[in-house]
Amino acid sequence: MDPDRTATQPATGAAVTPVYDDAVVKMFFTATVVWALVGMLVGVIIALQLAWWPANLGLPWTTFGRLRPLHTNAVIFAFAGNVCFTGIYHSTQRLLKTRMFNDTLSRIHFWGWQGIIVAAAVTLPLGLTQAKEYAELIWPIDVAITVIWVVFAINFFGTLARRRVKHMYVAIWFYMSFVLTIAVLHIFNSLAIPATLVRSYPVYAGMTDALVQWWYGHNAVGFFLTTPFLGLMYYYLPRAAERPVYSYRLSIIHFWALVFLYIWAGPHHLLYSALPEWAQTLGMVFSIMLLAPSWGGMLNGLLTLKGAWNKLRSDPILKFMVVAVSFYGMSTFEGPMMSIRAVSGLAHYTNWVIGHVHSGALGWVGMISFGMLYWMVPRIFGREVRHPTWVSHHFWLATIGIVLYTVAMWAAGLMEGLQWRAINDAGQLANPIFLDITARLEPFLWLRLIGGTMYLVGAIMMAINFWQTIRGSGRPVEAAARAA
Amino acid sequence: MNTVTRAAAETIQGGWVLGVMTGLFLVFFVAWTVWAYSPKRKAQFEDAARLPFADGGIE
Repeated sequence: MDPDRTATQPATGAAVTPVYDDAVVKMFFTATVVWALVGMLVGVIIALQLAWWPANLGLPWTTFGRLRPLHTNAVIFAFAGNVCFTGIYHSTQRLLKTRMFNDTLSRIHFWGWQGIIVAAAVTLPLGLTQAKEYAELIWPIDVAITVIWVVFAINFFGTLARRRVKHMYVAIWFYMSFVLTIAVLHIFNSLAIPATLVRSYPVYAGMTDALVQWWYGHNAVGFFLTTPFLGLMYYYLPRAAERPVYSYRLSIIHFWALVFLYIWAGPHHLLYSALPEWAQTLGMVFSIMLLAPSWGGMLNGLLTLKGAWNKLRSDPILKFMVVAVSFYGMSTFEGPMMSIRAVSGLAHYTNWVIGHVHSGALGWVGMISFGMLYWMVPRIFGREVRHPTWVSHHFWLATIGIVLYTVAMWAAGLMEGLQWRAINDAGQLANPIFLDITARLEPFLWLRLIGGTMYLVGAIMMAINFWQTIRGSGRPVEAAARAA
Repeated sequence: MNTVTRAAAETIQGGWVLGVMTGLFLVFFVAWTVWAYSPKRKAQFEDAARLPFADGGIE
Protein backbone atom coordinates (compact mmCIF):
# COMPACT_ATOMS: atom_id res chain seq x y z
CA MET A 1 0.00 0.00 0.00
CA ASP A 2 1.33 3.41 -0.81
CA PRO A 3 2.14 4.97 2.54
CA ASP A 4 1.91 8.40 1.03
CA ARG A 5 -1.70 8.09 -0.08
CA THR A 6 -3.84 10.89 1.18
CA ALA A 7 -7.46 11.42 2.03
CA THR A 8 -9.77 13.37 -0.16
CA GLN A 9 -8.49 16.90 -0.07
CA PRO A 10 -10.77 19.43 1.56
CA ALA A 11 -12.05 21.87 -1.07
CA THR A 12 -10.32 24.82 0.47
CA GLY A 13 -7.18 23.28 1.91
CA ALA A 14 -3.92 22.91 0.08
CA ALA A 15 -2.41 20.95 2.97
CA VAL A 16 -2.12 17.20 2.64
CA THR A 17 -4.07 15.25 5.26
CA PRO A 18 -2.31 12.04 6.20
CA VAL A 19 -4.29 8.83 6.68
CA TYR A 20 -2.96 7.02 9.70
CA ASP A 21 -2.61 3.25 9.87
CA ASP A 22 -4.63 2.52 12.99
CA ALA A 23 -5.32 -1.08 11.99
CA VAL A 24 -1.85 -2.06 13.15
CA VAL A 25 -2.34 -0.07 16.36
CA LYS A 26 -5.49 -2.12 17.04
CA MET A 27 -3.58 -5.36 16.37
CA PHE A 28 -0.84 -4.47 18.85
CA PHE A 29 -3.49 -3.30 21.29
CA THR A 30 -5.27 -6.65 21.18
CA ALA A 31 -2.01 -8.54 21.62
CA THR A 32 -1.16 -6.30 24.59
CA VAL A 33 -4.34 -7.19 26.46
CA VAL A 34 -4.04 -10.92 25.74
CA TRP A 35 -0.38 -11.17 26.79
CA ALA A 36 -0.96 -9.00 29.85
CA LEU A 37 -3.40 -11.60 31.15
CA VAL A 38 -1.11 -14.52 30.29
CA GLY A 39 2.03 -12.97 31.77
CA MET A 40 0.35 -11.81 34.97
CA LEU A 41 -1.47 -15.14 35.41
CA VAL A 42 1.84 -17.02 35.20
CA GLY A 43 3.22 -14.55 37.76
CA VAL A 44 0.36 -15.35 40.14
CA ILE A 45 0.90 -19.09 39.61
CA ILE A 46 4.60 -18.93 40.49
CA ALA A 47 3.82 -16.66 43.46
CA LEU A 48 1.46 -19.43 44.65
CA GLN A 49 4.21 -22.00 44.10
CA LEU A 50 6.58 -20.04 46.35
CA ALA A 51 3.98 -19.88 49.12
CA TRP A 52 2.65 -23.42 48.58
CA TRP A 53 4.99 -25.68 46.66
CA PRO A 54 2.50 -28.43 45.64
CA ALA A 55 1.23 -25.89 43.10
CA ASN A 56 4.16 -26.91 40.90
CA LEU A 57 2.04 -30.04 40.15
CA GLY A 58 5.13 -32.27 40.33
CA LEU A 59 5.62 -31.92 36.57
CA PRO A 60 8.93 -30.73 35.10
CA TRP A 61 7.16 -28.34 32.69
CA THR A 62 5.36 -26.49 35.46
CA THR A 63 8.15 -26.13 38.00
CA PHE A 64 9.24 -22.69 39.20
CA GLY A 65 12.57 -22.79 37.35
CA ARG A 66 10.80 -23.07 33.99
CA LEU A 67 7.74 -20.91 34.65
CA ARG A 68 9.67 -18.00 36.15
CA PRO A 69 11.47 -17.12 32.88
CA LEU A 70 8.13 -17.64 31.11
CA HIS A 71 6.62 -15.03 33.44
CA THR A 72 9.44 -12.50 32.99
CA ASN A 73 9.58 -12.92 29.22
CA ALA A 74 5.78 -12.71 28.93
CA VAL A 75 5.40 -9.54 30.97
CA ILE A 76 8.49 -7.78 29.59
CA PHE A 77 8.63 -8.73 25.93
CA ALA A 78 5.01 -9.74 25.32
CA PHE A 79 2.98 -7.33 27.50
CA ALA A 80 5.36 -4.34 27.82
CA GLY A 81 6.74 -4.87 24.29
CA ASN A 82 3.28 -4.83 22.69
CA VAL A 83 2.29 -1.81 24.81
CA CYS A 84 5.30 0.09 23.48
CA PHE A 85 4.52 -0.88 19.90
CA THR A 86 0.85 0.11 20.35
CA GLY A 87 1.82 3.55 21.67
CA ILE A 88 4.69 4.06 19.25
CA TYR A 89 2.65 3.21 16.13
CA HIS A 90 -0.20 5.39 17.38
CA SER A 91 1.73 8.48 18.53
CA THR A 92 4.60 8.51 16.00
CA GLN A 93 2.20 8.84 13.06
CA ARG A 94 0.40 11.72 14.79
CA LEU A 95 3.53 13.53 15.97
CA LEU A 96 5.08 13.37 12.52
CA LYS A 97 1.80 13.77 10.61
CA THR A 98 2.55 10.88 8.32
CA ARG A 99 1.51 7.27 7.86
CA MET A 100 3.99 4.57 8.88
CA PHE A 101 6.72 4.04 6.31
CA ASN A 102 5.40 0.72 5.04
CA ASP A 103 2.24 -1.19 6.00
CA THR A 104 3.72 -4.56 5.07
CA LEU A 105 6.69 -4.01 7.39
CA SER A 106 4.21 -3.08 10.14
CA ARG A 107 2.44 -6.40 9.68
CA ILE A 108 5.66 -8.42 9.49
CA HIS A 109 6.69 -6.72 12.72
CA PHE A 110 3.38 -7.57 14.38
CA TRP A 111 3.13 -11.22 13.34
CA GLY A 112 6.84 -11.84 13.74
CA TRP A 113 6.82 -10.52 17.29
CA GLN A 114 3.78 -12.63 18.23
CA GLY A 115 5.45 -15.68 16.68
CA ILE A 116 8.54 -15.07 18.82
CA ILE A 117 6.35 -14.88 21.92
CA VAL A 118 4.65 -18.16 21.07
CA ALA A 119 8.06 -19.78 20.47
CA ALA A 120 9.18 -18.53 23.90
CA ALA A 121 6.03 -19.90 25.51
CA VAL A 122 6.75 -23.34 24.01
CA THR A 123 10.52 -23.58 24.56
CA LEU A 124 10.79 -22.21 28.11
CA PRO A 125 8.45 -24.79 29.75
CA LEU A 126 10.36 -27.49 27.80
CA GLY A 127 13.49 -26.35 29.64
CA LEU A 128 15.22 -25.02 26.50
CA THR A 129 17.18 -22.02 27.69
CA GLN A 130 20.45 -20.12 27.40
CA ALA A 131 20.25 -19.51 31.16
CA LYS A 132 20.95 -15.77 30.83
CA GLU A 133 18.43 -13.69 32.75
CA TYR A 134 15.94 -11.87 30.45
CA ALA A 135 17.88 -13.40 27.53
CA GLU A 136 16.88 -17.04 28.09
CA LEU A 137 15.60 -17.69 24.59
CA ILE A 138 17.59 -20.15 22.49
CA TRP A 139 19.63 -19.03 19.52
CA PRO A 140 17.12 -19.61 16.65
CA ILE A 141 14.63 -17.37 18.48
CA ASP A 142 17.42 -14.82 19.08
CA VAL A 143 18.02 -14.73 15.33
CA ALA A 144 14.31 -14.22 14.71
CA ILE A 145 14.24 -11.34 17.24
CA THR A 146 17.12 -9.69 15.40
CA VAL A 147 15.38 -9.97 12.02
CA ILE A 148 12.05 -8.65 13.32
CA TRP A 149 13.78 -5.83 15.20
CA VAL A 150 15.55 -4.75 12.00
CA VAL A 151 12.17 -4.74 10.22
CA PHE A 152 10.78 -2.53 12.99
CA ALA A 153 13.83 -0.23 12.84
CA ILE A 154 13.53 0.24 9.04
CA ASN A 155 9.81 0.96 9.40
CA PHE A 156 10.36 3.39 12.29
CA PHE A 157 13.31 5.32 10.88
CA GLY A 158 11.68 5.28 7.43
CA THR A 159 8.69 7.03 9.01
CA LEU A 160 11.02 9.61 10.56
CA ALA A 161 12.64 10.20 7.18
CA ARG A 162 9.31 11.04 5.52
CA ARG A 163 7.88 13.10 8.35
CA ARG A 164 5.87 16.23 7.64
CA VAL A 165 6.81 17.94 10.90
CA LYS A 166 10.36 19.23 11.06
CA HIS A 167 10.88 19.08 14.80
CA MET A 168 10.92 15.61 16.31
CA TYR A 169 9.01 15.83 19.61
CA VAL A 170 10.84 14.50 22.67
CA ALA A 171 8.79 11.28 22.73
CA ILE A 172 10.25 10.37 19.33
CA TRP A 173 13.77 10.69 20.75
CA PHE A 174 12.90 8.30 23.56
CA TYR A 175 11.49 5.85 20.98
CA MET A 176 14.69 6.17 18.91
CA SER A 177 16.84 5.26 21.92
CA PHE A 178 14.60 2.20 22.45
CA VAL A 179 14.92 0.97 18.86
CA LEU A 180 18.69 1.55 18.60
CA THR A 181 19.85 0.45 22.02
CA ILE A 182 17.77 -2.73 22.23
CA ALA A 183 19.28 -3.80 18.88
CA VAL A 184 22.83 -3.30 20.16
CA LEU A 185 22.14 -4.93 23.54
CA HIS A 186 20.35 -7.95 22.10
CA ILE A 187 22.91 -8.67 19.41
CA PHE A 188 26.01 -8.41 21.62
CA ASN A 189 24.60 -10.27 24.61
CA SER A 190 23.24 -13.08 22.44
CA LEU A 191 26.46 -13.79 20.52
CA ALA A 192 26.86 -17.57 20.74
CA ILE A 193 28.23 -20.53 18.83
CA PRO A 194 25.35 -22.89 17.95
CA ALA A 195 26.03 -26.55 18.70
CA THR A 196 22.62 -28.03 17.85
CA LEU A 197 19.27 -26.52 16.96
CA VAL A 198 18.52 -25.89 20.62
CA ARG A 199 21.96 -25.63 22.24
CA SER A 200 24.68 -23.03 21.95
CA TYR A 201 27.72 -21.73 23.80
CA PRO A 202 28.20 -18.03 24.56
CA VAL A 203 31.27 -16.42 22.98
CA TYR A 204 32.11 -14.83 26.33
CA ALA A 205 33.41 -16.71 29.35
CA GLY A 206 33.52 -16.19 33.09
CA MET A 207 33.53 -12.62 34.38
CA THR A 208 33.32 -11.14 30.87
CA ASP A 209 30.15 -13.13 30.29
CA ALA A 210 28.71 -11.82 33.56
CA LEU A 211 29.63 -8.24 32.72
CA VAL A 212 28.10 -8.40 29.23
CA GLN A 213 25.02 -10.11 30.66
CA TRP A 214 24.40 -7.35 33.22
CA TRP A 215 25.26 -4.59 30.79
CA TYR A 216 22.40 -6.14 28.80
CA GLY A 217 20.21 -6.99 31.79
CA HIS A 218 20.22 -3.58 33.38
CA ASN A 219 19.70 -1.83 30.08
CA ALA A 220 16.74 -4.09 29.36
CA VAL A 221 15.30 -2.22 32.35
CA GLY A 222 16.69 1.09 31.06
CA PHE A 223 15.82 0.89 27.39
CA PHE A 224 12.92 -1.58 27.25
CA LEU A 225 11.02 -0.68 30.42
CA THR A 226 12.06 2.96 30.89
CA THR A 227 12.86 5.04 27.79
CA PRO A 228 9.94 3.94 25.56
CA PHE A 229 7.56 4.38 28.49
CA LEU A 230 8.96 7.86 29.17
CA GLY A 231 8.24 8.58 25.52
CA LEU A 232 4.67 7.39 26.06
CA MET A 233 4.48 9.55 29.19
CA TYR A 234 5.61 12.63 27.25
CA TYR A 235 2.87 12.09 24.66
CA TYR A 236 -0.09 10.61 26.54
CA LEU A 237 0.18 12.44 29.88
CA PRO A 238 -0.09 15.90 28.22
CA ARG A 239 -2.91 14.56 26.02
CA ALA A 240 -4.84 13.20 29.00
CA ALA A 241 -4.18 16.33 31.09
CA GLU A 242 -4.97 18.56 28.11
CA ARG A 243 -1.95 20.76 28.71
CA PRO A 244 1.61 20.75 27.34
CA VAL A 245 4.46 19.20 29.28
CA TYR A 246 5.72 21.33 32.19
CA SER A 247 9.14 22.07 30.67
CA TYR A 248 10.14 21.04 27.19
CA ARG A 249 13.70 22.20 27.83
CA LEU A 250 13.94 20.01 30.90
CA SER A 251 12.77 17.09 28.77
CA ILE A 252 15.78 17.59 26.46
CA ILE A 253 18.23 17.51 29.38
CA HIS A 254 16.26 14.59 30.85
CA PHE A 255 16.62 12.55 27.67
CA TRP A 256 20.34 13.02 27.05
CA ALA A 257 21.40 12.70 30.68
CA LEU A 258 19.29 9.56 31.12
CA VAL A 259 20.54 7.69 28.06
CA PHE A 260 24.15 8.70 28.74
CA LEU A 261 24.11 7.48 32.34
CA TYR A 262 21.96 4.34 32.02
CA ILE A 263 24.30 2.44 29.75
CA TRP A 264 27.05 2.36 32.43
CA ALA A 265 24.96 1.20 35.38
CA GLY A 266 25.01 -2.58 34.78
CA PRO A 267 28.00 -3.48 37.03
CA HIS A 268 25.92 -2.69 40.15
CA HIS A 269 24.54 -6.21 39.65
CA LEU A 270 28.07 -7.54 40.23
CA LEU A 271 29.12 -5.84 43.47
CA TYR A 272 31.31 -8.10 45.67
CA SER A 273 32.00 -10.32 42.64
CA ALA A 274 35.24 -11.09 40.77
CA LEU A 275 34.69 -7.96 38.64
CA PRO A 276 37.59 -5.50 39.21
CA GLU A 277 36.69 -3.20 42.03
CA TRP A 278 37.06 0.00 39.98
CA ALA A 279 34.49 -1.33 37.49
CA GLN A 280 32.09 -2.13 40.35
CA THR A 281 32.55 1.39 41.70
CA LEU A 282 32.01 2.86 38.23
CA GLY A 283 28.67 1.03 37.94
CA MET A 284 27.69 2.16 41.42
CA VAL A 285 28.57 5.83 40.81
CA PHE A 286 26.69 5.96 37.51
CA SER A 287 23.68 4.31 39.16
CA ILE A 288 23.63 6.95 41.89
CA MET A 289 23.92 9.75 39.31
CA LEU A 290 20.90 8.28 37.50
CA LEU A 291 18.74 9.64 40.29
CA ALA A 292 19.10 13.15 38.82
CA PRO A 293 17.65 12.64 35.31
CA SER A 294 15.12 10.12 36.61
CA TRP A 295 13.70 12.60 39.06
CA GLY A 296 13.95 15.37 36.47
CA GLY A 297 11.64 13.27 34.30
CA MET A 298 9.33 12.42 37.18
CA LEU A 299 8.99 16.08 38.16
CA ASN A 300 8.41 17.06 34.55
CA GLY A 301 5.56 14.55 34.42
CA LEU A 302 4.00 15.53 37.73
CA LEU A 303 4.35 19.28 37.23
CA THR A 304 2.52 18.95 33.90
CA LEU A 305 -0.56 18.74 36.13
CA LYS A 306 0.28 22.05 37.81
CA GLY A 307 -2.93 24.04 38.00
CA ALA A 308 -4.97 21.01 36.95
CA TRP A 309 -4.74 18.78 40.00
CA ASN A 310 -8.49 19.01 40.40
CA LYS A 311 -8.83 16.84 37.28
CA LEU A 312 -7.27 14.03 39.27
CA ARG A 313 -10.39 13.81 41.41
CA SER A 314 -12.65 12.81 38.55
CA ASP A 315 -10.41 11.33 35.87
CA PRO A 316 -9.26 7.74 36.53
CA ILE A 317 -6.97 7.87 33.47
CA LEU A 318 -4.95 10.68 35.06
CA LYS A 319 -4.95 8.75 38.34
CA PHE A 320 -3.30 5.79 36.59
CA MET A 321 -0.70 8.08 35.02
CA VAL A 322 0.09 10.07 38.15
CA VAL A 323 0.46 6.95 40.28
CA ALA A 324 2.69 5.51 37.53
CA VAL A 325 4.97 8.54 37.56
CA SER A 326 5.04 8.49 41.36
CA PHE A 327 6.09 4.84 41.36
CA TYR A 328 8.71 5.73 38.75
CA GLY A 329 10.07 8.28 41.19
CA MET A 330 10.03 5.86 44.09
CA SER A 331 11.72 3.01 42.28
CA THR A 332 14.33 5.30 40.71
CA PHE A 333 15.19 6.49 44.23
CA GLU A 334 15.27 2.94 45.56
CA GLY A 335 17.44 1.65 42.70
CA PRO A 336 20.35 4.08 43.16
CA MET A 337 20.19 3.47 46.91
CA MET A 338 20.33 -0.32 46.41
CA SER A 339 23.32 0.07 44.10
CA ILE A 340 25.43 1.42 46.97
CA ARG A 341 27.85 -1.34 47.91
CA ALA A 342 26.86 -1.50 51.58
CA VAL A 343 23.11 -1.46 50.84
CA SER A 344 23.55 -4.06 48.12
CA GLY A 345 25.34 -6.25 50.67
CA LEU A 346 22.13 -6.30 52.67
CA ALA A 347 19.62 -6.43 49.80
CA HIS A 348 21.24 -8.68 47.19
CA TYR A 349 19.67 -12.17 46.78
CA THR A 350 16.76 -11.21 49.06
CA ASN A 351 13.11 -10.60 48.20
CA TRP A 352 13.76 -6.84 48.48
CA VAL A 353 15.08 -7.02 44.91
CA ILE A 354 11.82 -8.65 43.80
CA GLY A 355 9.89 -5.87 45.56
CA HIS A 356 12.01 -3.22 43.83
CA VAL A 357 11.52 -4.73 40.38
CA HIS A 358 7.77 -4.99 40.86
CA SER A 359 7.34 -1.44 42.14
CA GLY A 360 8.88 -0.44 38.80
CA ALA A 361 7.07 -3.05 36.70
CA LEU A 362 3.60 -3.02 38.26
CA GLY A 363 3.74 0.58 39.47
CA TRP A 364 5.43 2.39 36.61
CA VAL A 365 5.20 0.25 33.45
CA GLY A 366 1.82 -1.33 34.24
CA MET A 367 0.01 1.79 35.44
CA ILE A 368 1.24 4.11 32.65
CA SER A 369 0.22 1.41 30.16
CA PHE A 370 -3.30 1.05 31.60
CA GLY A 371 -3.71 4.84 31.59
CA MET A 372 -2.60 5.01 27.96
CA LEU A 373 -4.89 2.13 26.89
CA TYR A 374 -7.98 3.60 28.60
CA TRP A 375 -7.24 6.95 26.92
CA MET A 376 -6.67 5.39 23.52
CA VAL A 377 -9.55 2.90 23.20
CA PRO A 378 -12.39 5.42 22.69
CA ARG A 379 -10.21 7.26 20.17
CA ILE A 380 -9.19 4.33 17.99
CA PHE A 381 -12.38 2.26 18.29
CA GLY A 382 -14.80 5.20 18.34
CA ARG A 383 -16.70 3.93 21.38
CA GLU A 384 -16.83 5.11 24.98
CA VAL A 385 -15.55 2.58 27.49
CA ARG A 386 -18.49 0.30 28.37
CA HIS A 387 -18.11 0.37 32.19
CA PRO A 388 -16.57 3.71 33.28
CA THR A 389 -16.83 2.77 36.98
CA TRP A 390 -14.77 -0.35 36.38
CA VAL A 391 -11.85 1.85 35.34
CA SER A 392 -11.85 3.32 38.81
CA HIS A 393 -12.19 -0.13 40.41
CA HIS A 394 -9.26 -1.33 38.32
CA PHE A 395 -7.20 1.63 39.50
CA TRP A 396 -7.82 0.93 43.19
CA LEU A 397 -7.36 -2.85 42.89
CA ALA A 398 -4.04 -2.33 41.11
CA THR A 399 -2.79 0.37 43.47
CA ILE A 400 -3.63 -1.53 46.65
CA GLY A 401 -2.27 -4.72 45.07
CA ILE A 402 1.09 -3.07 44.34
CA VAL A 403 1.35 -1.68 47.87
CA LEU A 404 0.64 -5.10 49.40
CA TYR A 405 3.15 -6.69 47.04
CA THR A 406 6.01 -4.26 47.62
CA VAL A 407 5.52 -3.88 51.37
CA ALA A 408 5.50 -7.67 51.79
CA MET A 409 8.68 -8.02 49.74
CA TRP A 410 10.47 -5.18 51.53
CA ALA A 411 9.70 -6.74 54.89
CA ALA A 412 10.68 -10.21 53.69
CA GLY A 413 13.89 -8.94 52.10
CA LEU A 414 15.03 -6.95 55.11
CA MET A 415 14.32 -9.94 57.34
CA GLU A 416 16.34 -12.25 55.13
CA GLY A 417 19.23 -9.82 54.75
CA LEU A 418 19.48 -9.12 58.47
CA GLN A 419 19.04 -12.74 59.59
CA TRP A 420 21.54 -14.16 57.11
CA ARG A 421 24.31 -11.94 58.41
CA ALA A 422 23.36 -11.86 62.12
CA ILE A 423 26.20 -12.91 64.43
CA ASN A 424 25.83 -13.95 68.07
CA ASP A 425 28.13 -12.96 70.96
CA ALA A 426 30.41 -15.90 70.26
CA GLY A 427 30.96 -14.67 66.70
CA GLN A 428 28.93 -17.49 65.14
CA LEU A 429 26.02 -17.18 62.72
CA ALA A 430 22.91 -16.48 64.78
CA ASN A 431 20.80 -18.38 62.25
CA PRO A 432 23.03 -21.24 61.06
CA ILE A 433 20.15 -23.13 59.40
CA PHE A 434 19.38 -21.34 56.11
CA LEU A 435 16.07 -23.16 55.79
CA ASP A 436 14.83 -21.68 59.10
CA ILE A 437 15.03 -18.19 57.61
CA THR A 438 13.39 -19.36 54.38
CA ALA A 439 10.48 -20.88 56.34
CA ARG A 440 9.89 -17.53 58.08
CA LEU A 441 9.13 -15.96 54.68
CA GLU A 442 5.83 -17.81 54.35
CA PRO A 443 3.39 -15.13 55.58
CA PHE A 444 5.05 -12.52 53.33
CA LEU A 445 4.80 -14.83 50.33
CA TRP A 446 1.04 -15.26 50.92
CA LEU A 447 0.65 -11.49 51.27
CA ARG A 448 2.50 -11.02 47.97
CA LEU A 449 0.19 -13.56 46.33
CA ILE A 450 -2.84 -11.55 47.50
CA GLY A 451 -1.35 -8.31 46.12
CA GLY A 452 -0.45 -9.91 42.80
CA THR A 453 -3.90 -11.50 42.49
CA MET A 454 -5.57 -8.12 43.02
CA TYR A 455 -3.43 -6.67 40.26
CA LEU A 456 -4.42 -9.55 37.94
CA VAL A 457 -8.14 -9.18 38.78
CA GLY A 458 -7.89 -5.49 37.84
CA ALA A 459 -6.33 -6.43 34.50
CA ILE A 460 -9.09 -9.01 33.87
CA MET A 461 -11.71 -6.31 34.50
CA MET A 462 -9.93 -4.10 31.99
CA ALA A 463 -9.92 -6.88 29.40
CA ILE A 464 -13.67 -7.58 29.86
CA ASN A 465 -14.39 -3.85 29.74
CA PHE A 466 -12.47 -3.46 26.47
CA TRP A 467 -14.04 -6.58 24.99
CA GLN A 468 -17.57 -5.30 25.65
CA THR A 469 -16.64 -1.82 24.45
CA ILE A 470 -15.26 -3.04 21.16
CA ARG A 471 -17.94 -5.69 20.60
CA GLY A 472 -20.39 -2.87 20.24
CA SER A 473 -22.03 -2.20 23.56
CA GLY A 474 -19.97 0.96 24.15
CA ARG A 475 -21.69 4.25 23.35
CA PRO A 476 -20.28 5.76 20.11
CA VAL A 477 -17.89 8.65 20.67
CA GLU A 478 -19.08 11.96 19.28
CA ALA A 479 -17.10 12.95 16.21
CA ALA A 480 -15.85 16.18 17.76
CA ALA A 481 -14.52 14.39 20.83
CA ARG A 482 -12.86 11.78 18.68
CA ALA A 483 -10.97 14.26 16.59
CA ALA A 484 -9.69 16.06 19.70
CA MET B 1 46.05 -9.89 38.56
CA ASN B 2 48.15 -10.26 35.41
CA THR B 3 50.35 -7.50 34.00
CA VAL B 4 47.84 -6.36 31.45
CA THR B 5 44.93 -5.91 33.84
CA ARG B 6 47.25 -4.36 36.42
CA ALA B 7 48.42 -1.83 33.85
CA ALA B 8 44.81 -1.12 32.85
CA ALA B 9 43.75 -0.72 36.45
CA GLU B 10 46.68 1.55 37.24
CA THR B 11 45.97 3.70 34.21
CA ILE B 12 42.46 4.21 35.45
CA GLN B 13 43.35 4.55 39.11
CA GLY B 14 46.16 6.88 38.06
CA GLY B 15 43.29 9.10 37.18
CA TRP B 16 44.27 11.36 34.33
CA VAL B 17 42.13 9.56 31.71
CA LEU B 18 39.20 9.51 34.07
CA GLY B 19 39.83 13.12 35.03
CA VAL B 20 39.91 14.35 31.44
CA MET B 21 36.80 12.33 30.55
CA THR B 22 34.90 13.62 33.55
CA GLY B 23 35.90 17.19 32.67
CA LEU B 24 34.83 16.72 29.04
CA PHE B 25 31.48 15.23 29.95
CA LEU B 26 30.88 18.05 32.39
CA VAL B 27 31.62 20.60 29.67
CA PHE B 28 29.22 18.77 27.29
CA PHE B 29 26.53 18.74 29.96
CA VAL B 30 26.88 22.43 30.82
CA ALA B 31 27.05 23.47 27.15
CA TRP B 32 23.97 21.38 26.31
CA THR B 33 22.03 22.84 29.24
CA VAL B 34 22.98 26.38 28.21
CA TRP B 35 21.89 25.56 24.64
CA ALA B 36 18.53 24.13 25.78
CA TYR B 37 17.80 26.98 28.17
CA SER B 38 18.96 29.81 25.91
CA PRO B 39 16.27 32.54 25.70
CA LYS B 40 16.67 32.44 21.90
CA ARG B 41 15.08 28.97 21.82
CA LYS B 42 12.32 29.57 24.35
CA ALA B 43 9.59 30.20 21.80
CA GLN B 44 10.72 27.36 19.55
CA PHE B 45 10.54 24.84 22.43
CA GLU B 46 7.19 26.17 23.59
CA ASP B 47 5.87 25.45 20.10
CA ALA B 48 7.45 22.01 20.21
CA ALA B 49 5.69 21.26 23.50
CA ARG B 50 2.35 21.79 21.73
CA LEU B 51 3.05 19.22 18.99
CA PRO B 52 1.00 16.43 20.66
CA PHE B 53 -2.10 18.63 20.28
CA ALA B 54 -1.86 19.01 16.53
CA ASP B 55 -2.36 15.50 15.18
CA GLY B 56 -4.57 16.63 12.28
CA GLY B 57 -4.97 13.34 10.40
CA ILE B 58 -7.69 10.90 9.56
CA GLU B 59 -7.96 7.63 11.46
